[in-house]
Amino acid sequence: MSEDRCTEVRERLPAYVGGRLDPAAAARVRGHLAGCARCRAESELTALLLRARPHVPEDLAERIQTSIRYERATVRRPWWGLAAAAVAALTLGIGVASSVSDRTAEPAEYAVEEDGAFWLSDDGVIAGVPVLSDLSDAALQTLLADMGT
Amino acid sequence: MVKDEDLTGKTPDALLVRRARDGDSRAMDLLVRRHHGVVYRVAFSVLGDRDGAQDVAQDTFLKAFRGLSGFRGDAAFRTWLITIATNEARGVLRRRVRRREIALDEASPLAERGPDPAERSVVADEARRALRLLERLPEKQRLAVTLRVQEGLSFREIGDAIGSSEGAARVNYFHGIRRLKEWMDA
Repeated sequence: MSEDRCTEVRERLPAYVGGRLDPAAAARVRGHLAGCARCRAESELTALLLRARPHVPEDLAERIQTSIRYERATVRRPWWGLAAAAVAALTLGIGVASSVSDRTAEPAEYAVEEDGAFWLSDDGVIAGVPVLSDLSDAALQTLLADMGT
Repeated sequence: MVKDEDLTGKTPDALLVRRARDGDSRAMDLLVRRHHGVVYRVAFSVLGDRDGAQDVAQDTFLKAFRGLSGFRGDAAFRTWLITIATNEARGVLRRRVRRREIALDEASPLAERGPDPAERSVVADEARRALRLLERLPEKQRLAVTLRVQEGLSFREIGDAIGSSEGAARVNYFHGIRRLKEWMDA
């Protein structure tokens, strides 16, 4: 068996086992493999390696897309926007806290949790006391994003 | 002019990259969907574990889109992503004290393919063995074999991706294949 022919076939084996050769080229490779045990063994190994291709987690693309959207949303915001949003969130928290102190007057406005945290019930904004100081950076970013700053 | 709604899974990378550079999120989504598999598998090839490969895949795309203005288009976008993924994964590897063993269950879906149950089982076992042996190759040989066999890259693209010449990529590939054959026959 010609060494040159073997070299040519071995170069093409990945495309052959991956089904990426045109029919005529695939037939030539197949014809060579029928008479060359060494190249046939390499073809079998190549096929095994292709089969061993790791499975990609189904939710990976979505996870990446989400992280890109999140980063773009936060990067577009200037530092003073973040600062203003933080002040606004703090003010809202204080405002809600003072409202809670006399919540007996308007009990229907709030849902009070056993641990003392509470939710403003009419607009979906999460607030509580103390809130901002306990938040991680990531959670603060998410809160600010939710506030549309 | 291609409108947003005209972007599809068949839109060429070069156009998607231009649109992504202008901040088109749909173009970014399509690029992620098209290339996340190869990026994940390259990271997996370097790291040998699923969680690390997912993190590297995510970081690769974040870095790529951050640096899109610096992408000159000399190489294909896919090759550029593979280069970033390889470097990211190498960075992770350097930070690790020791490399984790490959998760054997990565190869479990193999058992679902093949002509009959007995043969499927044998082929799956052999494929797992090949995967384990692949993990033992030096990194450049492993990447050359992975990118050539599993992703269909040319030697030139492999060289661009792993930071070597086309000739060196070819040598790495054939040395890797020869070693694997010897180990499989042992």
